[in-house]
Amino acid sequence: MMDYDFSKPQRQSISGIVVMAANTLQQIIRALIIPIAIFVIKAQSNLLIYSTVGISVLILVILFFSYLSYRRFTFFLDNIKQEFVINKGIFNRTLLTIQLDKIQQVNINQSLLQKIIGVYSLQIDTPGGDSKEVSIKAIDEKIAYSLKELLLNGQKASQIDVTNENISLTSQTPILKLSSGTLFKIGFTTNYGSSLALLVGFIYAIFHNAKDLLRAFDSDNGQVEAAIKTGVSILSVSIIIAIFLFILLIINIIRTFVKYFDFEISKHKLSLLISSGLFAKKNTLLSPKKVQITTCSQNYFQKKFNIMNLNLKQAHSGEAQTEKDLTKSNLQVPGCNADEKDKLLAIILGKIPKNGALFAPNYRFLNLPILFLTLLPIVIFYVLWFNFQEVKPYYPLSIIYFFVSVLMIYISYKKHRLTVSQDFIIKKSGIWDISHEIIVPHKIQSITTFQYPWHKVADVGHVNLHTAAGVIQFKYGNYTEIKQLVNYWLYQIESGSEEWM
Amino acid sequence: MQEFTNEAIEINSLPRYQEVSLNAPHPTYWKVMLINISIFIFLSITALITIIILNEKIKPYGIYLGGGCIIIFAFIFLLYKTSFKKRGYALREKDIIYKSGIIAEKTTIIPLNRIQHVALDEGLFSRIYKLATLQIHTAGDGTGHMHISGIPIEQARTIKEALLKRLDLLETSVN
Repeated sequence: MMDYDFSKPQRQSISGIVVMAANTLQQIIRALIIPIAIFVIKAQSNLLIYSTVGISVLILVILFFSYLSYRRFTFFLDNIKQEFVINKGIFNRTLLTIQLDKIQQVNINQSLLQKIIGVYSLQIDTPGGDSKEVSIKAIDEKIAYSLKELLLNGQKASQIDVTNENISLTSQTPILKLSSGTLFKIGFTTNYGSSLALLVGFIYAIFHNAKDLLRAFDSDNGQVEAAIKTGVSILSVSIIIAIFLFILLIINIIRTFVKYFDFEISKHKLSLLISSGLFAKKNTLLSPKKVQITTCSQNYFQKKFNIMNLNLKQAHSGEAQTEKDLTKSNLQVPGCNADEKDKLLAIILGKIPKNGALFAPNYRFLNLPILFLTLLPIVIFYVLWFNFQEVKPYYPLSIIYFFVSVLMIYISYKKHRLTVSQDFIIKKSGIWDISHEIIVPHKIQSITTFQYPWHKVADVGHVNLHTAAGVIQFKYGNYTEIKQLVNYWLYQIESGSEEWM
Repeated sequence: MQEFTNEAIEINSLPRYQEVSLNAPHPTYWKVMLINISIFIFLSITALITIIILNEKIKPYGIYLGGGCIIIFAFIFLLYKTSFKKRGYALREKDIIYKSGIIAEKTTIIPLNRIQHVALDEGLFSRIYKLATLQIHTAGDGTGHMHISGIPIEQARTIKEALLKRLDLLETSVN
């Protein structure tokens, strides 16, 4: 085995050229898929020959540029300054410097193409504001894992002798491993929301593209809309809904399998290694001390199946949050039972949270939601009821709505709890999915307390605990108690010398 | 666990943030706020007058609209006046406190060892009165940051220097 020396500038694996070229090609095709399809359908045969030549030239050009960018891409680890440096760019040279202690997670992924060639990509996430995330497109497995270890463990591990270390993943005994049965349970009980969004998006895309294609043939006479209309009249709406729900469930289960197949967590020196994926294997290494908020959540079905979700939130930049950034800095453990949860919490938080002082909100918690979410819609409905004949038959719905919404608001009030102990702050909330957000006091960045003038007499107020991964909010608490807690937390943050990251 | 026993005894004798006496913003900052409110009111009045002149239907109700607006403006003025009186900041040995809020009374506390960076911002009108806004940022989200307006520029610079010095101290003690 060779000794990897990252202190001198290195190139990627030579097969990276293919990966980069394929990536560029994929981007071009993805951007131009509709025009290309139309072109292929509409073009005459002699034009097709030219275009084949054109595409070949394009591929050659892409390969040439991929070669150039391969030659220009170098990376090295500066052991003295504790920095990772990347040099890249064909025309615009870019020099990226990342301080090792700012790295919060390193991902090693393998797409299908990379699997065929036998390389991995390595991605570095930092909490910095501008998309400073860096990726190396093609790298050998062993180099990837030793580099990852060096990057994450910084000073302490920089002297690691790679030759003697067993860096292969397979030899580690996992803390948590999800079986197919568990995956099935997970697919059955969670993430309906995102599957629904996916399905709706998919249907919309089909509809949209079908119209585009028909328009290309100059034959869009509203067939798509007509087809949908006849479809509606043939099948009754309830059957459609049943089929829709069934498809939703199937998609949900398939998605869970694709995403979390072979899900494994193992302890890897100072960090946790999380790996999963059916087609594309995804490996993530994170250091537990960089987790800011740990959330466990469970709904009614999951409780019956004895599984729960864990969500590990890491620091993200304050400004300009995109959906992608958010999910990237959040790590999901889709399912684990109570024992496994305790084991994971013990690793992430240092110890398992025990009970502490419990704080409940004042009944005034109910006022605003009931006013705006229950009474206001119902008043609007009855104003319509008096004025329009058409809405009259629907009045039973308003009664159902009244009871359901009041019940939901009441549950959210009963579940809104704050538990404080010396080492932890746990915020419980939710209506269907009941979540426990756990933070350690020294991860608090700042504290805001506020009170409305009309709550002064009742001594009711709110507190926000700002962390680098989001806000923990406790509403309508006893303000005197809150002030006391704030003083206690401030004392904990300011007297300790523990770093938040 | 020596910390635990400490906590049990001391919880009521911990320093109380709510009892710290706060420094009010400089009195001339009220003028800056007045200028800002006046600009807002001036713009809304111009908009209102244009609408009334252009729209025939609304014209007869112009007086009521105007009257309503005056009441709203008076209300805004009162709100800001009371909120100005409530404002205040205090620099403690280990944290910085800022109290503000138009309707709700909001107190933000940032421990000095959690400050990421400090900025000094001089607005156009503030500069005329030699005032500045001190912005204190943490690694948390935007709502947890602190913008203290109406500090005399010299004093703001001193506070900024003091905070930065503390940051340096923390940095060096870590490394």
